[in-house]
Amino acid sequence: MIVTPAALPMATPVAMPKLGMTMEEGRVLAWTATVGAAIERGQPLLRVESEKSDFEVEAPASGILRHVYVEPGTVVPCGTLLAAVTATADEPFDPAAFRLAHDRRPDAPPPTTAPQGSAPPGVTPPRPAGAPPAVTPAARARARELGVDPAQVPGSGPGGRVTREDVEAYAASRPRRVAVGGGVAIEVVAAGSGPEVLLLPGFGTDVAVFARQTPTLSARFRVLGMNPRGVAGSDAPEANRYDLSTLAADAARLVDHAVHVVGASLGAAVAIELALAHPERVRSLALLAPFVTASPRLLAVLDAWCRIAEEASAEALATALLPWFFSDRLLADPTAAARTRRGLAAILSRVPPRTLARTAAGLRAWSGTRSAMLGTIAVPTLVIAGADDLLVPDAPALADALPSAQRLTVAGAGHAVGLEAAEIVNAAILRHLEACTT
Amino acid sequence: MRPLATDELLDAYRKMRTIRAFEERLQELVMAGALSGFLHLYTGEEAVAVGVCQHLGPRDMVASTHRGHGHCIAKGVDVGGMMAELFGRRTGICKGKGGSMHIADLDRGMLGANGIVGAGIPLAVGAALTAQIRRTGGVAVAFFGDGATNQGQFHEALNLAAIWALPCLFVIENNLYGEATPVEFVTPVRDLAARAAAYGMRSDIADGMDFFDVHARAGEAIAQARAGKGPTLLECKTYRYSGHYVGDPLTYRTPAEAEFWRTQRDPLRRFEERVVADGLVDAATLRRIDREVATLLEQAVAAAASAPHPDPEDLVRDVYVRG
Amino acid sequence: MARELPMVAAINEALHIAMAADPTVIVLGEDVAGGGGRREQGIEEAWGGIMGATRGLLKRFGPERVRDTPISEMGFLGAAVGAALTGLRPVAELMFIDFLGVALDPLLNQAAKLRYMFGGKARVPLTVRTSTGAGLRSAAQHSQSLYGITTSIPGLKTVIPSNPADAKGLLLAAIRDDDPVVFCEPKSLLFVSGDVPEGDYEVPLGQAQIVREGHDVSLVAFGRTVRTALDAAELLARDGIRAEVLDLRSLQPLDEAAILATLARTGRLVVIDEATPRCGIASDVAALCVDRGFDLLNAPVRRITAPHAPVPFSAVLEDAYLPSAERVVAAVREML
Repeated sequence: MIVTPAALPMATPVAMPKLGMTMEEGRVLAWTATVGAAIERGQPLLRVESEKSDFEVEAPASGILRHVYVEPGTVVPCGTLLAAVTATADEPFDPAAFRLAHDRRPDAPPPTTAPQGSAPPGVTPPRPAGAPPAVTPAARARARELGVDPAQVPGSGPGGRVTREDVEAYAASRPRRVAVGGGVAIEVVAAGSGPEVLLLPGFGTDVAVFARQTPTLSARFRVLGMNPRGVAGSDAPEANRYDLSTLAADAARLVDHAVHVVGASLGAAVAIELALAHPERVRSLALLAPFVTASPRLLAVLDAWCRIAEEASAEALATALLPWFFSDRLLADPTAAARTRRGLAAILSRVPPRTLARTAAGLRAWSGTRSAMLGTIAVPTLVIAGADDLLVPDAPALADALPSAQRLTVAGAGHAVGLEAAEIVNAAILRHLEACTT
Repeated sequence: MRPLATDELLDAYRKMRTIRAFEERLQELVMAGALSGFLHLYTGEEAVAVGVCQHLGPRDMVASTHRGHGHCIAKGVDVGGMMAELFGRRTGICKGKGGSMHIADLDRGMLGANGIVGAGIPLAVGAALTAQIRRTGGVAVAFFGDGATNQGQFHEALNLAAIWALPCLFVIENNLYGEATPVEFVTPVRDLAARAAAYGMRSDIADGMDFFDVHARAGEAIAQARAGKGPTLLECKTYRYSGHYVGDPLTYRTPAEAEFWRTQRDPLRRFEERVVADGLVDAATLRRIDREVATLLEQAVAAAASAPHPDPEDLVRDVYVRG
Repeated sequence: MARELPMVAAINEALHIAMAADPTVIVLGEDVAGGGGRREQGIEEAWGGIMGATRGLLKRFGPERVRDTPISEMGFLGAAVGAALTGLRPVAELMFIDFLGVALDPLLNQAAKLRYMFGGKARVPLTVRTSTGAGLRSAAQHSQSLYGITTSIPGLKTVIPSNPADAKGLLLAAIRDDDPVVFCEPKSLLFVSGDVPEGDYEVPLGQAQIVREGHDVSLVAFGRTVRTALDAAELLARDGIRAEVLDLRSLQPLDEAAILATLARTGRLVVIDEATPRCGIASDVAALCVDRGFDLLNAPVRRITAPHAPVPFSAVLEDAYLPSAERVVAAVREML
């Protein structure tokens, strides 16, 4: 499953719907899915009774039915949070905090314990139909300071009110562009808080390839996804090639101290270059499908990649690349394959052909030049590779060359191991990061 | 009571004449549009204020009413400062912040005119309490009108003064009217001094238009108070020539009545008649005093009219001693 | 060194200290000696005030300085003003603030205004001690919290402690302040104990105090409602909501900077006042937040007050009348 890159990775709420103008509340009759079960978007989750009729409430997203808030038999107002759906079973999820943040309902009538003397919220005149959600004064002031348009900010306050925290979360997650010298700005997509983790995507992709890593990591770390030069919102300066030393130098300019680095494929190569050329910036390395010498097959695929990108659509490119990234297991499942191809095409469309050519040239020039130096990398390193990786078949050998490397080979996964085996990969990365942090 | 010495008589006359001239001048200034606010004039009642205050010194306190200019002058408050206060100027005795109804000078033991009927009476009782506890030998005098004797504060204050035997003198200026209402419409007793009996207090009645009668009876009462023998209620029967306030249409009394009091009972004329007849003072001296008073008034008016107004910062100054 | 004392004893201690240090301090009011001073009948002390706050003063300082008054609030408060005007430092007791109705002129038109009207020459160093608040089943005419009225009068100061230590320090400061101060004693707190330092100390007028730190919501309280706020903070903490509690202590002067500072920290503010809702302290604080803290507001300002009704006698009704921790918690949840 590919999560749309623009959305903040979060659990999905299931709320009591308001069917029609007069519906005020509904009674939960029965849950038709169990907590912990995998569910598909559109699948019925529960039956509800309203004044007018009985109906089914469907799952708004696929994933795991992670938590149920309202027991059968209970009557709740429209908008009340009924359940939460998470992408995976093991990602961090706090039911109380999620309810606090997401419980949306229209201004409730006064509670029946009659707190006389506190002006009942119900007497506030309702906002005109169609009016945008309210924005608190503090949110407005902060939005001015941060250059955010409050109308773009999703609100988590009562009635969808936009709070200062909402504005700050929105601003923090917006891609920022950082100057790296020479008039070039690099796009960084940030999420979460905590010690920094730099994510470096692979050839011809942007940080969205880490869509299944970001929610997990951002719960405990500040994740900085770097789009390399020429990719998505980063500048694409004129050049014959983008050397890996340049890409590593760009990464080094994004932070001012040693950070954890996670790289996939070419991103892992950049991470290795970073550890060699800018060791003061690297606290630990997690390398997904890494290489220091590109195999002939890899170079041939890159040539094809560049050619197809110039001549055909992103969908065609994705169709061509799918078998090189993923295992038989995924390719054998037409629904999964189709979904994956669509997500991949979206990512590929954000990298122009000229960037591909320049980056491929840089990769060719770099390939093979660093293998002798791997022994000098002293930081804790984790090497993860899919057992069925066709493009980088000798990742285990690379792990042997690194003095302090843990290695993990994931059965039944291809080159895009981070996407195909996300739970296993995430668990391994978290263990690795936590071991470094303590 | 020993007879008054010549200088004391002249001083008394000067004070009464000053009050008369001051109040009459104010009437003219209001009619000319030079003064604003409510002004309550003391014309006709001069003998009461001066007759009582002749017995008072620096350690004695006086609390007054909305009709307080006479008590101020009798207690020695600076006439120039008073005039400037009425003009609302920064040089006024209250820096222009009080006006006619709140004119005061604590340095002279004048606890202020008061805009609330009867409110000065407990203040005087408090001043007497201070005198008693600090053993200053001082007394406190409360001046108030017939109308105030129906106010709760009057009764509560007299009761308190009586029970604590405080060195007070309570002076009722019964001028027969409370604003527009005749006293007999609202008070069931003819002699208001009778109210002292309810508090076990001494009382007396004086002819408020006769300086000597007021002076003698007030002297008695003040001596008693100073001797620790407690308070007295002294009713002075008097009359105000002016209306309740300047501009009062006076539709509640006949011109003949006022004319009678002015011509037959005028305190300044009666004072002069007596001191001249007794050979104590000659008329020429009194005329000289009249002229001096007139000059004093003119100087006061001229100075006040050209004095600076308060600063805008004075608006919020002196709300608190600190903070 | 501190010992545990009920608030009424802390007040008594302050009076003893003030009277011993300054011979111009006198105490007057109804039953402040309470019929004492009749040595020949063996009745020395008697009541010492309706709650015992003035106990021991008659015996120690004598009948000149400790005076039972007739039931004449206008009379003896007016006399207290006159005495303050002329060199004494009286501490007068208005037994219940509900009696303000029969005593308002000496405070409103005399004590509050003499200094201003006389161009700064007068000072009225008067303290009026008075009991406030409900909770003792004393019904409508003995349970009000009318400090909103005295706070609104320019020239008066009004303070209200929430604990015995502050009661002692605030009263000493009030007595020594040269302006007329209304010292409110929440009657439901008079017999609640707390640590009270020994000796002579003052709590400055106009200074609020943070009694619990937090980042998610500010609870502004005073007098009885400080306890309500702290209880609410405990309940909220169980859900991970960290409430900050600000004890105003002084209503006029009002520590506006402290109110705006806590609002700046949390962005959300609840005022808790046991008085009735119209034209009161709660509305005053809320208006301040909107007027001068607008860009800090991350949620509406909520006021938790008594209802717009007299205090009922029935215990069940009176308990519902007073602000509760549960009402505060419910309001906070709606703000998040």
